[in-house]
Amino acid sequence: MTAQAKKTQLYEIHKKTAKLTMFAGFEMPLLYEGIIAEHLAVRDNVGVFDISHMGRVTISGADAERFVNYVITNDVSKLAPNNAQYSVMCNEKGGIIDDFVVYRLEPETFMIVFNASNRKKDYDWISGNSKNLGVEIKDVSDDVAMFAVQGPKAEKTLQAISTADLGKIERFKCGSSRLADVDVFMARTGYTGEDGFEIFVWDSPLIKPDKAVKLWNAILEAGKAYGILPCGLGARDTLRLEAGLCLYGNDIDENTTPLEAGLGFVAKLQKEDFIGKTALVAQKAEGLKRKRVAVKMAGEGIPRSGFEIYDEKGLKVGQLTSGTFSPLLRCGIGMGYVPTSLAQEGSHVKVKIRDKLADATIVSLPFYDPEKYGFRRKTAP
Amino acid sequence: MVKIDGVEVKEGFYYSKDFEWLKVEGDKVRVGVTDYAQKQLREIVYAELPGPGTAITQNTPYGTVESVKAVSDLVAPVSGEILEVNTEVQSKPELLNEDPFGKAWLLVVKPANLQAELANLMDFNKAVEWHKTLGK
Repeated sequence: MTAQAKKTQLYEIHKKTAKLTMFAGFEMPLLYEGIIAEHLAVRDNVGVFDISHMGRVTISGADAERFVNYVITNDVSKLAPNNAQYSVMCNEKGGIIDDFVVYRLEPETFMIVFNASNRKKDYDWISGNSKNLGVEIKDVSDDVAMFAVQGPKAEKTLQAISTADLGKIERFKCGSSRLADVDVFMARTGYTGEDGFEIFVWDSPLIKPDKAVKLWNAILEAGKAYGILPCGLGARDTLRLEAGLCLYGNDIDENTTPLEAGLGFVAKLQKEDFIGKTALVAQKAEGLKRKRVAVKMAGEGIPRSGFEIYDEKGLKVGQLTSGTFSPLLRCGIGMGYVPTSLAQEGSHVKVKIRDKLADATIVSLPFYDPEKYGFRRKTAP
Repeated sequence: MVKIDGVEVKEGFYYSKDFEWLKVEGDKVRVGVTDYAQKQLREIVYAELPGPGTAITQNTPYGTVESVKAVSDLVAPVSGEILEVNTEVQSKPELLNEDPFGKAWLLVVKPANLQAELANLMDFNKAVEWHKTLGK
């Protein structure tokens, strides 16, 4: 017998409007209208995602800052309340247990939002390392609904149902707010490369989904003027890949370190002590053998996770960890690991697509032109 | 033409259980993918087809089509030599979603053993019954 699929607060809506898929034990929307249309809605206008399946824990108490800084690799000591940062946490070998965003809610309260696929593992790891410390760790995953509103029109969409001035919320800032008369916590964060917000609907368990449903419908209504589309996990994956963001289980796992993954900016090696520090300091001193790179196909063919990477002489040098068709660039793109000597922008490599070696180039991330797309775009949409 | 759960099955075509159709045109046959196949794949973004002159074998893969998320083999409904390849589908793979039985034909083939191989395919009536057994 298979375990019963978990559902989010919006399941009844998704069941009627989306094609569903199983992901991390949840029955989730794969797509509504179509992956390409949803993807382009986020790049050009705005889209809304149900991400209630993600894991959420709060860590509070007098030792909260010290404890969080011991478990994660980034440094929360300078993170003021109502600020968030991206981080990973590692095992003793420096292997990545998960990547996530950590929010400082209050001086002595943090929230970590991690991958749905790692809900139990992360909770067990965090609570298992908290012994003898004055912290309380609570898994609030099932009590909170969570949406991501993403795209250049995300602010305008949410402004229509907010009394606060959302223009004042900078990237990676967060705080309590109200949207469509529902109490929420909002952060200017996301997983698409675009500007946007992630919205937490407190006190919204599965048996009481009315607030979540009300807000979801209000966002879709407010976004109508801007061409909003509800978006599924299909577009979520293609958007994050175009932006060059890692997917845990594909691009990073317990056998990759943040240094190899190009996430060195979240590994604060000068920090006092944290799990994995010794291994990461040693790896940095030795030098990296391999690095995560972005691969863009020169011609036809779509690279997929697991496909092999070859150098120009035809020698196998690595493997792709993600790959897809880029709806924006209309070509194949992927990420994978290659020896450090090859990990340079402009290096020519080959990707084995079925029985053929197809030409590809190592490029910088994001895949799109950051002056035209993404949260740093210069041209107004 | 009939619609089963929104999926079209057309008269005048033979069907394989690998979701391809075959149409007899004199001493040649035209080959493509069914409406069911394109609806399952959705948003086809790439079609890899062999060139004219290539020999294909019934029930054996000869190419691939890919959507954003998935890769699917094209399996030959007939054996023979490829006479023509639809290059328009290669440059505009979305045609496969728009008109699978028409503009998005894939190959014209000179069949090697047509009469015997037609017995391995479903005619319209059999294909209608078979489509009723497929999930959405």
